[in-house]
Amino acid sequence: MKLKNFCGSPEHAVSRRGFLTSLAAAAGTAAFADMSAIQVLGSPEVANDLRANQKRVIMLWLAGGASQMETFDPKPGVPTGGPFQSIATSTPGIRISELMPRMARRLKDTCIIRSLNTRNADHGSAARIMMRGRMGEPSVDYPDLGAVMAREMGLEGSQVPDYVSFYTATEGRSMSPGSAGFLGARYGSMDLTTSMVPENIRRAGVNEQDHSERAELRDQLSGMFERGRTSSSLDSHNQAYRRVSGIMANEQLFDIEREPQRIRDRYGNTLFGRQALAARRLCEAGVPFIRVGRAWWDTHAQNFESHQEMVPELDHVMSTLLDDLEERGLLRNTLVITLAEFGRTPSINSTVGRDHFASAWSTTLSGCGVRGGTVYGRSDESGNRVAEGEIGAARLFATIYRALGIPHTKNYYLGARPIPLTDPGTEPIREVLA
Amino acid sequence: MPDANPRNLRNVREINRPGILFSVARVPNTACLLVASNDNKVYEVDAGQANAAPRQVVDHGRYVNAVRLAGNTLISGGYDNRLIWWNLQDNREIRTIDAHTRQVRQLAVSPDGTKLASVADDMVCRLWNIANGEPIRELRGHEERTPTNFGSMLYCCAFSNDGTKLATGDRVGRVCIWNVANGERLSTVEVPSLYTWDGTQRIRSIGGVRSLAFSPDGTQIAVGGVGQIGNVDGLSGPSRVEIHNWARRERVSDFQGNQQGLFNKLVWHPNNQWLCCVGGGNNGFILFRNTQNNTTIHQMNLPMHTHDSVFSENWETLYHVGHQKIVVQELRP
Repeated sequence: MKLKNFCGSPEHAVSRRGFLTSLAAAAGTAAFADMSAIQVLGSPEVANDLRANQKRVIMLWLAGGASQMETFDPKPGVPTGGPFQSIATSTPGIRISELMPRMARRLKDTCIIRSLNTRNADHGSAARIMMRGRMGEPSVDYPDLGAVMAREMGLEGSQVPDYVSFYTATEGRSMSPGSAGFLGARYGSMDLTTSMVPENIRRAGVNEQDHSERAELRDQLSGMFERGRTSSSLDSHNQAYRRVSGIMANEQLFDIEREPQRIRDRYGNTLFGRQALAARRLCEAGVPFIRVGRAWWDTHAQNFESHQEMVPELDHVMSTLLDDLEERGLLRNTLVITLAEFGRTPSINSTVGRDHFASAWSTTLSGCGVRGGTVYGRSDESGNRVAEGEIGAARLFATIYRALGIPHTKNYYLGARPIPLTDPGTEPIREVLA
Repeated sequence: MPDANPRNLRNVREINRPGILFSVARVPNTACLLVASNDNKVYEVDAGQANAAPRQVVDHGRYVNAVRLAGNTLISGGYDNRLIWWNLQDNREIRTIDAHTRQVRQLAVSPDGTKLASVADDMVCRLWNIANGEPIRELRGHEERTPTNFGSMLYCCAFSNDGTKLATGDRVGRVCIWNVANGERLSTVEVPSLYTWDGTQRIRSIGGVRSLAFSPDGTQIAVGGVGQIGNVDGLSGPSRVEIHNWARRERVSDFQGNQQGLFNKLVWHPNNQWLCCVGGGNNGFILFRNTQNNTTIHQMNLPMHTHDSVFSENWETLYHVGHQKIVVQELRP
């Protein structure tokens, strides 16, 4: 494609798009891609109302598949139950793994769903389902939950990103990338993989004054370029630039060193803890969707020792995050989700491991819009099948959308084709909703 | 002492059992085994017969990780943090002790049968008077947290043949050598090759010191487990043993089996003829190492991941327990 020159002079033979794209690359974001051509129907009043509520999601993505039996659906005393006991929680009658004593004490905001049957136990395709709430199809590139949240809950003129994903471990990262699908890259994820702070968000040696002067220069050049031109593409670029510029100006959002030491200590000195704290900071600043990927739970061998290592960290980080959000008044508008691509087999293999299992596993929803201190669904005595309240990814996502105040029947339009947020006929789980 | 030859090693019996058998002890001069199971119980099994009905002896209510015998006294420990003393002769419980604050991983009985060592994930080794169940002392030398700030585990312990020294081994590869008489830590041997921390791909760990055996003269300690693993989802690293002179903190030798997995049990022949190494990954394996010339005498597969083994008094019969099986092997011609 032939690119239009920026100003016509040979020494400045650079396109406006190229110029902005370079800036975007320097900022380490993908926010400059074209806006989606999708038309979004729905009442503007409803949308504005939703945005005024500023619902947010923090997803704790337990990549690789944490064991439901060593977390939220323990089965002590049965041959498949494993070595750990269950303990009573703050809700009479509900017990969780003894590896989660802190969550046991603060179950009041959490609903445990123990009846997921998602029928796919392959890491990659299962991760895509559980990030999107549906199977893919060749002709439609569905957006994931983060992108929908960015689309529905991102604030007009916001200077923070709408979708941030922390995923530092290399294993499984490519299997569950953030994906805006047909919504377009405007709603794509800012992926933080090697650092807690967006790489190159501000280059070394660029101080506040440099940053400000560069913005002024950009405005001047942009104004020259736009003179006499009008297009949605130009608007999109300007929006994208403002967003990146805002992110650059708000780089401290990602810097947990700005938190008091006691807060950092509270989250703990693990990568997961630090990223959860960063997620809270971003949530507080108005980022609608933050995913904290904690990989890698794929414990085909030594399942119990690995869960003994990892579940206490999950317990600590999750309970601290919920406490912190509550104390800041954020929990009522923030939904904290623990989710993975699947759970793990009840059967224990020869290397004392558990394998992939999608037939009866668990997730949790905490905070916004959820009836806390409850359990929905039941797996059978051995944990091999759902005994009561079976749901798939679609109902889970319909429930999530409803908890956030997003009509799960809402349509997006791909050309003339309506694309509902969840598959037609899907109903949220009323018992889970507040 | 008879000269049992590892080259004669062969399977003579397989006994199928439900569940996972983590530990075994043998009633002296018999084929009667006491096996610790993941169904929370200890069973008595006559391994001289293929179809003998097992008899339940002890119920911990949680996985049982360890079982040892001192005369007629059976002592077992598990995820309930307790030690249970059981008199086999009149089939009654002697005492139950809340021994640790985390799960008991392994037990060892001193060669004179008077002391019991227990190790647990509270990272403490405790010495007990077997006769009266009284604690003798605590041995603390293993960190509760790993270098990456996760909870550690204390897997195994072994007495020297003269009973004066005790070795303990943990998840991150630390081995402590203790003076049994006064509790003094005599040495600390680091074996980091047995601990894999994957801070890049999967952000978790695997491995640890899973087996220990002193040389007959007590100057060396053999340390078993699994070597460095590329993919910590499985046990896809080489089964590995390091032998250290613990007083000088020097590695004397090391070797790796040709199978992937853990060496869960080490037995050093009292005449220093060989070191027997048993364990498993997806399947089981056994390897005899000539400790004089550092060569492998013989190795073969076992039909299951093997967690523990015990020899007969004449070293001609070997009993293994593991995943859903008991296997009896013989070394006589």
